[in-house]
Amino acid sequence: MKQRERGAPFRAELTACHECDELQRIPALEAGQAARCRICQALLLRNPGGGLDRPLALFLSALILLLLANIFPFMTLEIQGQQEITTILGTSQVLYHAGMGALAVVVFLTSILAPALIISCALYVLLAIRFNVSLPAVRMALSWISHLKPWVMLDVYMLGVLVAFVKLDKMASLHIGLSLFAFIGLIILSTAAMAAFEPQLLWRRLAGKRFT
Amino acid sequence: MRARHLGLASCHTCNLLQRLPASGHGHCPRCHSRVRLRMANSISITWAFLITAVIAYLPANLYPVMTVVSLGNTQSDTILSGVVFLLLHGDWPLALIVFVASVMVPLLKMAALAYLLLSVQRRSPLRKAQRTRLYRIIEMVGRWSMVDIFVVALMAALVQAGNLATIIPGPGALAFASVVILTIFAAMSFDPRLIWDKGEVGHDIATSP
Repeated sequence: MKQRERGAPFRAELTACHECDELQRIPALEAGQAARCRICQALLLRNPGGGLDRPLALFLSALILLLLANIFPFMTLEIQGQQEITTILGTSQVLYHAGMGALAVVVFLTSILAPALIISCALYVLLAIRFNVSLPAVRMALSWISHLKPWVMLDVYMLGVLVAFVKLDKMASLHIGLSLFAFIGLIILSTAAMAAFEPQLLWRRLAGKRFT
Repeated sequence: MRARHLGLASCHTCNLLQRLPASGHGHCPRCHSRVRLRMANSISITWAFLITAVIAYLPANLYPVMTVVSLGNTQSDTILSGVVFLLLHGDWPLALIVFVASVMVPLLKMAALAYLLLSVQRRSPLRKAQRTRLYRIIEMVGRWSMVDIFVVALMAALVQAGNLATIIPGPGALAFASVVILTIFAAMSFDPRLIWDKGEVGHDIATSP
């Protein structure tokens, strides 16, 4: 980093690559730059730039879209005058009612719970650091973001919507609900928010604070 | 210089470089996560997840992922027949995407994990950078296989309990989701740093409890 955050330990600039264990120094990064391992090219650190305000704004908008996406109908199917409306939650409910509780949990986790938790945890940590308020469990919230990241599958869900659309289009007429637009917006904004957000830099900022 | 030789490791959660006690594991002073020189029993745990995934792959492809009941007619779809359906309806770009995501990716991912495990167990000195890149790729693309599960859930949610048609998710969907989840766990439990170990100190830590 160009200017090292106050309170960050000196060693924070030295790192061991997670993928090949090579000990190396992370060079100073300009905004938008990323450091890669000199042996195996693994990503070591990104400097997204834009401070705390940009991820804060993006995560806040993502939260609003997440709520909208889950309130309104997602898709409506019409077969000879009969209407069937579904929501995002409805896709895990139908699995639960079909006796596949485990599968319902997986779909609920990947399409609603993990994105909701990541967005909330990110907002919580960013607000605590940005306004320097001593909130409980900030460290826990920040580590949850890394643990939950592999379980967010909004983009895969969207591909599923596309395939289901093509398959059902032959047998009935489908209408797009308001939620689908919110959902597309959510995918774009949450991707942008995660790109503007480097947990490692937040860990460094937390180092000197008395947060739990 | 490898961090292991100095008894150092970066925390997997917050990336803080730290000196570990002789036992090879400790707790990160910054984020309180567990830090290890190498993941415990990485090779055997990864094998366990991988073998379970391979076993679950059979019912995942043999059992129907969904059944369409329409006007007394019953038609069951497996993972493969779903791809064939898209192909027959002239939607070949989408058929190709679904074929790659739900047929190629799981098979290649399982094969790649087996290759990585065997090469580490044989302490192969070859193509370390390429093997690390292979690991990075399979860790990234595995999630796309979940697409079929979402398709089944969406279709079943839209076409339920109508008098004209009903779509019921089948046992194949459960088995297929298990394959995807198990291979994700397998990739998570594999420690890519083992590819680079020469098999002295680190190997003992990685394979003994």
